[in-house]
Amino acid sequence: MTAFAKRNLKLYIRDKSTVLFSLLAVFIVIALYVLFLGDVYKGELKEFERADELMDNWVMAGVLAITSMTTTLGMLGTMVRDKYEHIEKDFFVAPVKRWQIAGGYMISAYGVGVIMTWIAFVVAEIYIVVNGGKMISLHNTLKVLGISMVSSLMNTAIALFLVSLFRSMNAFATANTIIGTLIGFLTGIYLPIGSYPAGVQWLVKLFPVSHAALVFRNVMMESVMDVSFAKVPSEIVQEIKEELGMVYLFGSWEVSASCSMGIMTIIAIVFFTLACVQISRKKK
Amino acid sequence: MVYIEHTKGERYMEKIIEVNHLSKSYGDVWAVKDVSFNVEQGMLFAFLGPNGAGKSTTINSICTFLKPDKGKVLVNGYKLGEQDGKIRDSIGVVFQESVLDRLLTVEENLSLRGSFYNLRGKELKEAVANAAAATEIGNLLKRPYGKLSGGQRRRADIARALLHTPKILFLDEPTTGLDPQTRKNVWDTIKKLQREQGMTVFLTTHYMEEAEEADYCVVVDNGMVAAKGTPFELKEQYAKDKLSLKGKNMEQLKTMLEEKNIVYTKKADLLEIELKNTMDAMAILKEAEPVLDGFTVVKGSMDDVFLGITGKEIRE
Repeated sequence: MTAFAKRNLKLYIRDKSTVLFSLLAVFIVIALYVLFLGDVYKGELKEFERADELMDNWVMAGVLAITSMTTTLGMLGTMVRDKYEHIEKDFFVAPVKRWQIAGGYMISAYGVGVIMTWIAFVVAEIYIVVNGGKMISLHNTLKVLGISMVSSLMNTAIALFLVSLFRSMNAFATANTIIGTLIGFLTGIYLPIGSYPAGVQWLVKLFPVSHAALVFRNVMMESVMDVSFAKVPSEIVQEIKEELGMVYLFGSWEVSASCSMGIMTIIAIVFFTLACVQISRKKK
Repeated sequence: MVYIEHTKGERYMEKIIEVNHLSKSYGDVWAVKDVSFNVEQGMLFAFLGPNGAGKSTTINSICTFLKPDKGKVLVNGYKLGEQDGKIRDSIGVVFQESVLDRLLTVEENLSLRGSFYNLRGKELKEAVANAAAATEIGNLLKRPYGKLSGGQRRRADIARALLHTPKILFLDEPTTGLDPQTRKNVWDTIKKLQREQGMTVFLTTHYMEEAEEADYCVVVDNGMVAAKGTPFELKEQYAKDKLSLKGKNMEQLKTMLEEKNIVYTKKADLLEIELKNTMDAMAILKEAEPVLDGFTVVKGSMDDVFLGITGKEIRE
């Protein structure tokens, strides 16, 4: 199983275009932010101290949330190809079990998700510091690394389930493009959730990856928020938090960071189960 | 290998594959219907049939990919459907399409696939080296599979199938799409494996001259066994020798043949006569000698056998 996982990793890394494309959504988010949107948001918050640093952290938190989604999806393209090009026939002609193969895909996808998120984190911190912001504390660094492992688990599970539905490369590539395009909106990264109409806000709140974004935001923006909002009344801080997607309200029920962690874990379990059912269904 | 008895083409050697009344349907269509045959140990076995005849279905069933609807199959003494794991340990399969990873080197490919057979560490290294030696690709091990030529790839595919030293090697059209020289090389490798390692080789092929070299052939058509036997037996039964005559005066020759009630067909500037026995040609030639300009006797080939049995050209 580990040998097979290693193979998947090698195939992913050696195909430079797959790596690049799986990071496309991430690049688009960053480019849009750096070139256009960043200034708009910073302008809106300019009465607060260190608004630049606040929004830099905000957008990078979103980037960390989606990185593991798009990269695991790209990595699992191998799984669709193995099926489509009948390469998997050569696996099952050997006395290996189906779950071992499925496990190999999972491990490699999870590995890619976590490592790419960590790399994105390093790049994000460099960007923030170069832009005049303060580097994240050690305590919160550890938190981010830990959250990456949970969010990657959820994203791997979702990606695995999605991928198990596809049998053709074309369908998969199309789905991949659509997900890559929509994910920035659905997680409230291109635009803060507060600027959406109420109906769409619900969609964002229900989209699992948004919860990863919420948790990352709370950790990464923690210290700068203390400074920015030191003299701001707490009702307004609460309002801003809602605007930026740092708390989600379902009616009067407020989803906090720890709540979102729980939600991610549950979603990971649900989608892993679905994916396992889908994969182990052998054709007659 | 000892022949215990040899009468009328019936040989009794150890059977390594036994297929009894195998049937498989897709919906209302029977892909394979009541197919039975045996493969004896150490033989080069050719499985022939036109496209859609049920070749792939049969092979996929024997190789544990498909669950047959009916029938009993024993591979290396293991029962299909009950001991599939043991069967997979006993067989190596070379698929029609490439199944190795293009971005990995041949060695990486072989090591990975070897690990599927629980080969580890030193054992795995040895298995890779042996398989590479048997197929003469030792110098290609460090090259990416995707950068190899068609013939080199085929060799790597065969090496993959040999990793766990299987008892039976299945090859699904191993030489299709290769140029004649490469085809011969690949074919030589296959025959060498059979000869030197006593491996049982089960292959399907489009090339009838390859089928000629098999020890035993089974021809399937419409999902059923249409004929079986050694290439010699099949040719005896289904392919007739042909005598082609060219006359000094074609009209005279025709009249002469018609007088003798010999049936002929005109092909270009030749008259072609089907012979029951090769020696029958002598009598006709003697009669026709005065008006004859030239002649050829063509021995029936496996192509003719195939045509005779299925009524179809194999290269469709």
